Amino acid sequence: MTNRQGRLFAIGSTAVAAILFLVMTLDSHRQFPELTNAENITPEVTHGKDVWHKYNCINCHTLFGEGAYYAPDLTKIAKHRGDPYLHAYMRDPSKFYNEQKHRRLMPKQDLSEKEIKDLVTFLGWVSEVDNQGWPPRPILVTGGMTTPTTMGGEGEITDADAASVTPVDSGSDPRALGEQLFSTAVPTCKACHSLTPGADGAGPSLGGLVTRTKKLLESGDYQGEATDVESYLHESIVSPSAHVVPGDMYSAGSTSFMPASYADSLSEKEIDQLVAFLATLK
Amino acid sequence: MRYKSQSVAYWYFAVAMVLFGLQLVFGLLSAAKYLGPDPLLYILPFDVTKMIHTNLLIVWVLTGFMGATYWLIPDESRTELHSVKLAYVQLVLWTLMGVATIFGYFFRYGTGNKLLEQPLPSKIVIVICMLIFLYNIGMTIKKAGRFTTTEGVLVLGLVSSAVLFFPALLEYGNYTVSIFYRWWTIHLWVEGVWMMILGGFLAYLLIRLSGADREVMEKWLYVIVGLVFLAGIIGTAHHYYWVGVPYYWLPIGGFFSALEPLAIVGMAMYAYGAMRRSGLSHPNVLALHWTLGCAIFTLFGAGLLGLAHTWPSINKWTHGTLITAMHGHAAFYGAYAMIVLAMITYALPSLTHPRENDSNVIGYWSFWLQLAGMFGMTLSFATAGIGQVYLERIMGMGYLDAQLKIQIHFIMLIASATLFTAGVGLFIFDFFRRRPRFEVEESGS
Ligand code: HEC
Ligand code: HEC
Ligand code: HEM
Ligand code: HEM
Ligand SMILES: [Fe+2]
Repeated sequence: MTNRQGRLFAIGSTAVAAILFLVMTLDSHRQFPELTNAENITPEVTHGKDVWHKYNCINCHTLFGEGAYYAPDLTKIAKHRGDPYLHAYMRDPSKFYNEQKHRRLMPKQDLSEKEIKDLVTFLGWVSEVDNQGWPPRPILVTGGMTTPTTMGGEGEITDADAASVTPVDSGSDPRALGEQLFSTAVPTCKACHSLTPGADGAGPSLGGLVTRTKKLLESGDYQGEATDVESYLHESIVSPSAHVVPGDMYSAGSTSFMPASYADSLSEKEIDQLVAFLATLK
Repeated sequence: MRYKSQSVAYWYFAVAMVLFGLQLVFGLLSAAKYLGPDPLLYILPFDVTKMIHTNLLIVWVLTGFMGATYWLIPDESRTELHSVKLAYVQLVLWTLMGVATIFGYFFRYGTGNKLLEQPLPSKIVIVICMLIFLYNIGMTIKKAGRFTTTEGVLVLGLVSSAVLFFPALLEYGNYTVSIFYRWWTIHLWVEGVWMMILGGFLAYLLIRLSGADREVMEKWLYVIVGLVFLAGIIGTAHHYYWVGVPYYWLPIGGFFSALEPLAIVGMAMYAYGAMRRSGLSHPNVLALHWTLGCAIFTLFGAGLLGLAHTWPSINKWTHGTLITAMHGHAAFYGAYAMIVLAMITYALPSLTHPRENDSNVIGYWSFWLQLAGMFGMTLSFATAGIGQVYLERIMGMGYLDAQLKIQIHFIMLIASATLFTAGVGLFIFDFFRRRPRFEVEESGS
């Protein structure tokens, strides 16, 4: 090989690679509008993006898996948390997490209400981008000990460690189906609820739920319309604000931070299965 | 030093050394925050320390590149620099820009765009500095009328770096599109045109240190550059998989980015071969250590650890975890920190007055402490990252809970980073304990 041949190889391979790359870039631009739902990039979303940049969120968090590794990925956060939750959280994260417990805390960001609203709209847009199904499993902010079970489905994960869980393993049993739904409903219940007693996340732990509910129904503090445990559980899912568990991190102005969307997104049968599962959490 | 104007390199190196030291302070601060709780949460939160850490890295490495180029060009083209004054003006402007930008970061004055946080005024000054720099180099070469392949590759790398900075100056309404073009700067820098810069310096050092045959070295340099771009351009796709691009980027990007280590293997063989063939007779054995060390650590950090997570079906799980930080540290240090340190070590004896009873003991301690420290840091990030991927991504444990389980690796990280910092401290001490000298000497280097 001569010097000249070496140079030709360098120039030639660079040119070929660059051309191929540019062709793919052009084609990507053809597809970006559809992949990213460009028609939904409203002025609010654009402003939300500017807020995201202005407050340097990327240097603690990742978005689309890019950024820093000090704080959780937020690509799908809007799918795990409702807007009321995110609004309240952005106002004051310290009401939601305890720095002593997790050894980290998001500092309060002092955003205006308009900034918060548009930011959350932006995160909603992000969560809808068609990004090849990443992450392959939901990335949760907190949540307890999970171990794979032998249950069917694609590598389901359940709280087998929770002492209070009654084991369910038959695929046809409504309780087993309910347990599966607990992970697969959108947003997944696991994003907010653990089954380990005392391990509260964005929602209260559901360990000991039945015992707790019985007490609640007997006491005079209950404000909803349920008459027994099952109807309470049903109500908790389809209209979370009917009765709210006390706590600043759970609700604001008697609006629960639990998404109110399940009444629509789940069928009546599925809700019954969930209730059947929850009723095992003595 | 054969040409008086080469002494401007000293001041570039001096600035680089100071910024390098500062970079580590902010790295250690960031790592301490992993352990938490953070007493500085409202004064100096993680996002600020981390941003300063990575920006100082980029600034000092570029300062080192520019200093090393001002050193190399007169040697290769056999002439004085076109304008020493311009080189100093550029350094002052550059340093002021760097300091002002970092100062602004304390108040979060930045674009909030990873690694491209510099606000527009700073970016414009960066462009101006680049133009002054390239003009000065270009005029020098033109004046000399002698242009070697080694410096050609180096200069082409520098020019392309400036060109690839342009996408970073634009704004994009669509976040996905903005990520797409961010990588044209960041990825095509570190895995494309900076590789040319690295290759140029490496060839220079190998030719000078081992006396290897220039004809042969430069022929292979072309081959390496060809391999870099053949794989590296389309390899950009390893940052595209999950950000909202069409599916075909996954298999095509996976394939080409998996070829990227070829060029790096080539580079290591190139260095090793030159040393074997021509022996280690050069008196500056320490510079030889840095040169060979750079080729080998690049192979480890960029080649091996890059390959480890570049395939889409693996990257799916490791994307955006501490695994990325593992690779980022080992690759950046091996390739770009070490080549600058190699150039400094090579040039320093001619740029400074020798001290009485001068020996290189401190230099060797610095070399080995840094290598051991960085290796330990890489392992700490790796073990932490594997834990994170397993607990958080595969088992589905919440992010915050998983981080609590890997605290021990953060302690390991801080311990090995302390070792590393000691090594860097020695390097900086060794640099500054000698007085600079500005007269030409015929016998040296
Ligand atoms: C200094 C680092 C830091 C910065 C800057 C930061 N965050 Fe966070 N963020 C965290 C940490 C740590 C958590 C984990 C929960 C906690 O400790 O509050 C978190 C959690 C979150 C959550 C999830 C809360 C939940 O329970 O679901 C959202 C949403 C969020 N951050 C949004 C943002 C946005 C938007 C910005 C920019 C305006 C931002 N963060 C800036 C550190 C940071
Ligand atoms: C975004 C977080 C979030 C998600 C997702 C979520 N919840 Fe909740 N959930 C909450 C909060 C907050 C509360 C407490 C406030 C309230 O009572 O509504 C709550 C309360 C409950 C309660 C009442 C607990 C008690 O102690 O009385 C039940 C039952 C419940 N959720 C079930 C579910 C089920 C089943 C799902 C999935 C289909 C789910 N949740 C998804 C946040 C969430
Ligand atoms: C004292 C030694 C160092 C310590 C303790 C340290 C620590 C850190 C920490 C904690 C982060 C943040 C990672 C995150 O986003 O969560 C980081 C980022 C980074 N550091 Fe360092 N660092 C050190 C030295 C270095 C050196 C010498 C280099 C390069 C030569 C370097 C290059 C980087 C890079 C490139 C990133 C960004 C990585 C990414 O986003 O994936 N660091 N460092
Ligand atoms: C000297 C050369 C290299 C340097 C300095 C370098 C540096 C970096 C840095 C700093 C990052 C983090 C970027 C970010 O997320 O913002 C990164 C990511 C990455 N690098 Fe490299 N790299 C080099 C070579 C390589 C090579 C040769 C490969 C593949 C064979 C590779 C594969 C990757 C992959 C796959 C990621 C993405 C990680 C993720 O998904 O989060 N790198 N690199
Ligand atoms: Fe890359």
